[in-house]
Amino acid sequence: MIKVEKLTKKFRKNKTKKETEEFYADQNISFQVDSGEIVGILGPNGAGKTTLLRMIAGILEPTEGTINFDGLNYQEHEIEIKQNIAYLSGNTKLYDTLSTYELLKMCSEIYNVPSEIAEDRIKELKKVLNLESFLYNKIANLSTGQTQRVNIARCLIHSPQYYILDEATTGLDIISSQIILDFIKQERDKGKTILYSTHYMEEAENICNRVIMMNKGEIIHSGTPEQIKKDTKTTNLRDAFFEMIGGVSNEE
Amino acid sequence: MKNNAWNILKKELKELFRDKKSLSMMLVIPIFIPLLVLGMSALFEAQANKDVEEYNKIGIAYEMTEEEKAIAEEMKLELMQASEEELKEKYQKAEINLYVTKHENRYTINTDGAENSTYAKRLVETFLDAYKQYLQGNYLQANQMNPTEVLDIITVEEKSIKEEENFFANYVKNYAFLFIIMAITVSATYPATDTTAGEKERGTLETLLTFPIKSKDIIVGKFLGVSLSSMITGMISLGLAIVSLLIAQDRFSIYEGINLMYDITAILVAVLIIIAYSIFISGLCISIASTSKTFKEAQSALTPLTFISFFPSMIAFMIEISATPLLSVIPFLNYTIIFTSITKGDVSYLNIFLMFASTILYISFVLTYIIKQYKSEKVLFSK
Repeated sequence: MIKVEKLTKKFRKNKTKKETEEFYADQNISFQVDSGEIVGILGPNGAGKTTLLRMIAGILEPTEGTINFDGLNYQEHEIEIKQNIAYLSGNTKLYDTLSTYELLKMCSEIYNVPSEIAEDRIKELKKVLNLESFLYNKIANLSTGQTQRVNIARCLIHSPQYYILDEATTGLDIISSQIILDFIKQERDKGKTILYSTHYMEEAENICNRVIMMNKGEIIHSGTPEQIKKDTKTTNLRDAFFEMIGGVSNEE
Repeated sequence: MKNNAWNILKKELKELFRDKKSLSMMLVIPIFIPLLVLGMSALFEAQANKDVEEYNKIGIAYEMTEEEKAIAEEMKLELMQASEEELKEKYQKAEINLYVTKHENRYTINTDGAENSTYAKRLVETFLDAYKQYLQGNYLQANQMNPTEVLDIITVEEKSIKEEENFFANYVKNYAFLFIIMAITVSATYPATDTTAGEKERGTLETLLTFPIKSKDIIVGKFLGVSLSSMITGMISLGLAIVSLLIAQDRFSIYEGINLMYDITAILVAVLIIIAYSIFISGLCISIASTSKTFKEAQSALTPLTFISFFPSMIAFMIEISATPLLSVIPFLNYTIIFTSITKGDVSYLNIFLMFASTILYISFVLTYIIKQYKSEKVLFSK
């Protein structure tokens, strides 16, 4: 279970050369994701989704609030938490000079996966994610879809409990996207805890058990897709979102 | 988790040896050492064996005596007699190497200090000394005095209590080592930049920071990777310096009768210094580059280091500073002065120990500071 309470992130940006101003990327965010559940974080660009997931993945430090992973927090158990997390974003970059196999081996060593188990997992991932044709190719020579499949394999190598997926299908073709969506569903069915951010509303409606809608750094609604549609008297999440923000004009 | 510094090191070495730029930095820079050793030796030899005909064209702006002409002929001076104005013009056209004017008994050597003029000046000074001795001898004889008894009433001779030294040999040996130090500096800057600011720019650092690795392991792994690559450059440079000195010893007559090669103690100490300096410069480069936001910014920040590594040592070498315990703990300066002292036979184990201990101390401080700073947010998103 991932439990987020009153999470706030404040950034400072330069207004002029001498003056800076503070702004909230996320403000007072609270929610919980249970085991065996996919919770979607939805919202337009700039809604604060990436900042939120980076805080949960331990890359950014919250200004206020707490994050708990089955009772463990980053202040005292950073390494133990990271040992059980898989963070994947559409922008996650891999080491170009390594081959897929070398990268997976490296990750398994970092996550302390015993060598024999790691070899078995690589064999399994090779089949499931169809890595066979490029397992020994350098990552620099792979297509975007192939690279993202390697990224998924990297996330699976240590069999994590928590998945934090930030727009993992952005820019991918329909086949690669489907592989990722199928993988997410399979992991949920295994009892894993999954946080999934996207701005593709239909995708979220299709795979998420619950959805958290964000705008301008705040949660504007949450619930099951059906519940949200019912509350907003709409037929899909896209219309529900526009209904909640009062139309398409969302400029600052 | 205990092996994660080792995992990072393995990754760094794979990246380093597969990246053409890093490889060329590591392997190509040492090639300049033989060029330097052989080039300098060729230059020294050309200077030492300079043909007198290249600098013996002397303008004379006064009427010479027969005795002067005889001495000049004996010294193979090629004289050109003309007025001062004409000689000035010829000098500017480089038809003569210098010209001499005379007012009563005062001779003036006119020269601008250019290379051939400097040689010509020494030649004219010898010529005028010989003529002066001739005149003094004549004067004394005319006054019924024995010139030898008067002019050599006392004699002074210089006896060197130092072992026979060859200026050129010392110069080449020490400069070769100075260039090894410089090669290590240059070869450390690229991988240090690539592994910190470069990794940040390529976006892989964000991935790395999501792994269960302590920032200490990341920094130590990266530091060891850069240190190893610098040591490889240093050892290749030392090997090439030794080969170059052997070739120079064989090829150039200026080294005849002296041993140009580093002795075994100097080679062993050179290896120790290369290890210490590689550790020192790699730690420094990693620390500076890891605080930079971009590859370009890191490179700009590291460029001055190349000069800082070279100039204190060069100045110390030129004014012949010897190693002392205090100087052995001064970074940059200590490495070369300890080596130059050893090539002169002054082996101090205390100084070598102090150099190593101070290097480890400085780098521990710097790395500890950087590890504390190396928290995800500061490293990835600092502006």
